[in-house]
Amino acid sequence: MYNILLVCNQGMSTSFLVEKMKQAAQEKEKDVTIWAVSDAELNENWEKADIVLLGPQVSYLKSTAEKAVGNSIPIEVIDFLDYGRVNGEAVLDKALKSINKD
Amino acid sequence: MSSFSKTRIVDRFAAVAQKLGGQIHLRTLRDAFASIMPFIILAGFITLINSVILEPTGFMGKIINPDTLTTWQSIGESITNGTLNIMTLLIAVAIAYHMCVNRGYKNVIAPILVVLSTMIVVTPLTTTFTPEGAAESFLVSDVIPISYTSATGMFVGIVVGLLATELFIKLSSSSRLQIHISGNIPPAVIKSFNVLIPIMINVIIFAFASFLLNLLFSMDFNTLITSMITKPLSYITTSLPGFLIITSIANLFFGFGIHQAVISGPILDPFLLQNMQDNMIAFANHQEIPHIINMAFKDTFAVMGGSGNTISLLIAIFIFSRRKDYKDISKMTITPAAFNISEPIIFGLPIVFNPMLIIPFVLAPIFSLTVAYYATALGLINHVVVQTPWTTPPVISGFLATGGDWRAALLQIIIIAATVFIYLPFLKVDERVNAMQMAKKSE
Repeated sequence: MYNILLVCNQGMSTSFLVEKMKQAAQEKEKDVTIWAVSDAELNENWEKADIVLLGPQVSYLKSTAEKAVGNSIPIEVIDFLDYGRVNGEAVLDKALKSINKD
Repeated sequence: MSSFSKTRIVDRFAAVAQKLGGQIHLRTLRDAFASIMPFIILAGFITLINSVILEPTGFMGKIINPDTLTTWQSIGESITNGTLNIMTLLIAVAIAYHMCVNRGYKNVIAPILVVLSTMIVVTPLTTTFTPEGAAESFLVSDVIPISYTSATGMFVGIVVGLLATELFIKLSSSSRLQIHISGNIPPAVIKSFNVLIPIMINVIIFAFASFLLNLLFSMDFNTLITSMITKPLSYITTSLPGFLIITSIANLFFGFGIHQAVISGPILDPFLLQNMQDNMIAFANHQEIPHIINMAFKDTFAVMGGSGNTISLLIAIFIFSRRKDYKDISKMTITPAAFNISEPIIFGLPIVFNPMLIIPFVLAPIFSLTVAYYATALGLINHVVVQTPWTTPPVISGFLATGGDWRAALLQIIIIAATVFIYLPFLKVDERVNAMQMAKKSE
């Protein structure tokens, strides 16, 4: 069971990616919970997550987010092409790889 | 592209964005405005219903008894009172909350109450009233004037919200100001005592500061802030040149992959919202509309299909592009684009780090906003008077935002069509450069 949190400016555009990632997870029969929030809601959400993925448009938040989670979970910026092309599978694979690395 | 994305300019942009995006007060402002947005949209919706549909002198007045319509309007008016007319209080409370969250301060309710209390402390609870036909005006006491709690006083809400919360968090983290009680006392009781002294000091400081300012400048706190801070800043940010420059800088940031809200959120939005609310109130009261540039004006004419009016880029690609990958991506991004979400095309095509597409991405909104500005100024379309959600699809958004003016919807179509030809030459050059690169690679 993995929990993946996506963060973008308003949690709007990222929600498209969330749907695609869920589909990919279902096809791979992986048990994951994926959800998207705005950067303002990061503080209330990261504790439930195994990894935080930042949309490329909020990549500047990386150091702030790292400070907030105190290096307890990985924080990654989603590759901008994967993000724009809503490549749910690639983002999911990279996220799972990052979680398992720890 | 890859070499460009690693250049020093990009690093500069990222560094500035990190500073701005991470700066706690600017962040707090941005988050707070996002929190109160639903109330503003509700107010816009109600204004639309009250002034267009339920208007007794309008078309409904011929179907339903005008007196009945006036009664129904009063429901909407009470909603306006609870949203638009207390916007300054809402923003102050939202700032207190987000400041606590961003500072990691746990006892959120105390600063919220302190801010609400201080807001009233610095507000004069009197207003002047001139009865019809009377030569002299009366001073009415025991009222909270709407002019102080509505958008007009918004900067007071921002200043008090930020200052009072900061002060409170500072005071309450000082261990010397906490009451130490020994014995078997429940933690909740101790907690209530521990905020007691900071609350008292905080409110008293604001009361004295407000009193002193009044004495020194013979102006109340609200009027002072409004005339010294709000008016000049608003003049700079919401005049056409200032507005275009800030919007363009924000879009340029987006061209480097950093969300435009980092810039426009704290610098532009407070003033645009204030103008928006002035307009909504004027529209509801059948007065002359004061501002052309406001929040929904920007969304309606410069965020069609998303930032940069990218709906026009999609159209340009569909009609004129020879690249299959561009067409495929455009097909995929048409759904989000219908709701003005442009991140998929910005990052997917990509526009980011691609100078040939960044240029029209910045130019298109400048063109669109200028055209819409003069169209409004010349009276070709009605002023934008209603806050619509930014996700309202283009053409519908123009109709709704102007209180039901079809000419604004038509203008949106014209702007979209014209903007296609702003994107087109750059798209062609981009495709040629790309083809040349491909040819080089295959050599």
